[in-house]
Amino acid sequence: MELVDRYLQAVKFWLPRNQKDDIIAELSEDLRSQIQDKEAEVGHKLADAEVEPILKRCGSPLAVAGRYLPQQSLIGPALFPIYSVIIRSLIFYFLLPWLLLWMGIVIFSPDFRTDHPGATLFATLEPWWLACTYSLFFNTLSFALLDRSQARSHLVNNWNPRALPAVRDHNRISRGATIFQLTVVVATLAILVQVDAFHRVFHFFGLAITLSHQWPYFIWAITALNGAEIAIACLNLSQPRWTRLSASLRLGLDVYSWGLIYFLFRANLLQSLSSNDVPSSEAYKLVSSINLWMASSAIWVLVIGAVVVTFDVRRLLRVSRPA
Amino acid sequence: MSPSTDTDTHSDDRFENLRQELRRGSLPLAVLAALRTEHYGYTLRKTLADHGMVIDEGTLYPLLRRLEAQGLLVSQWREEDKRNKRFYRLSPDGKVILKQLLIEWKGIHASLEDIF
Repeated sequence: MELVDRYLQAVKFWLPRNQKDDIIAELSEDLRSQIQDKEAEVGHKLADAEVEPILKRCGSPLAVAGRYLPQQSLIGPALFPIYSVIIRSLIFYFLLPWLLLWMGIVIFSPDFRTDHPGATLFATLEPWWLACTYSLFFNTLSFALLDRSQARSHLVNNWNPRALPAVRDHNRISRGATIFQLTVVVATLAILVQVDAFHRVFHFFGLAITLSHQWPYFIWAITALNGAEIAIACLNLSQPRWTRLSASLRLGLDVYSWGLIYFLFRANLLQSLSSNDVPSSEAYKLVSSINLWMASSAIWVLVIGAVVVTFDVRRLLRVSRPA
Repeated sequence: MSPSTDTDTHSDDRFENLRQELRRGSLPLAVLAALRTEHYGYTLRKTLADHGMVIDEGTLYPLLRRLEAQGLLVSQWREEDKRNKRFYRLSPDGKVILKQLLIEWKGIHASLEDIF
């Protein structure tokens, strides 16, 4: 019977303190009755190997003890869906992009790898680990506390069908967003005209900035882009729904604009800086650093552009699907 | 494992889950009904098993405690065959609730028969 005693001891460990002895006495009686019946059946005292299946059938000590405990959850089913959405958003829109960005820098930036050799490279992930730990811990703690507070019933029970959000129409183009876009484009054009952007030399606060000879071509390309944006915005205002035409135009324009930004970043646009206060050697270093930084950041422009274009393609596929 | 065996296993699992869910709902009624006569845990299990309601000890004893905590059962430790056993029987409240549950059960049974 040593095996049974060991089993009962293991179950007892997990039981509520004030019920331990009572539950164990009852369970012990049941197991011993089963063994007694089995012994009567086989005609001899059971060996440990024969007792084992009886205990196995009864279940693991933790599972058996768990059935005597009240059903508890850290975050109950009423709040869990909200918790789940927040945690998933946190992971997919914050922690995962951060991790991917870090991986991208590690892969594409030899300077970064040189500055952080060996294991110190992983030490640069420390802020990410801390963000993971704090965000997950404090979210879980907040929801666990909310689940135990009065606010939970207010949150769950006080609702009004009329206050629910309107049915989402994925194909509707928000007029507000279009007007905002139009305003930005017109403002950009106004600024380009105001600063006489077709020139290559600009003067700001005593600083003379000279851009490369490619700059005027870029300005023409940007002006054309803004013109196209105005045309599409007008089209979207007159027909505020995504159609194959408007979705295709949006896709084409986004490919064009992100490609343009990519080349803008890689073009070593800044030719020189001059100021009475800055020595020419310092100005030269600054120009080189800015151009280098822009060139090395171009890959991220491509990444962001790819994400935008992916959404555009998905939209185009959605509106192209037969209803 | 072939795809058809996979499907069979999946189908068996689904059936087993639903079967257990169905039986779990009717266990309190079966236990209350069986405890119109006094039993201790082991004989109660055997009685239920003899009637086709197999229930393992890990399910029965917590259920007995819950029903007792709700005042539907009363229990008493007594010595029998030189061993201490806890005997359960229906409380007066348990008898009333059992009657109501049986009416409900018959209603459900009739409704299901009607639907089938």
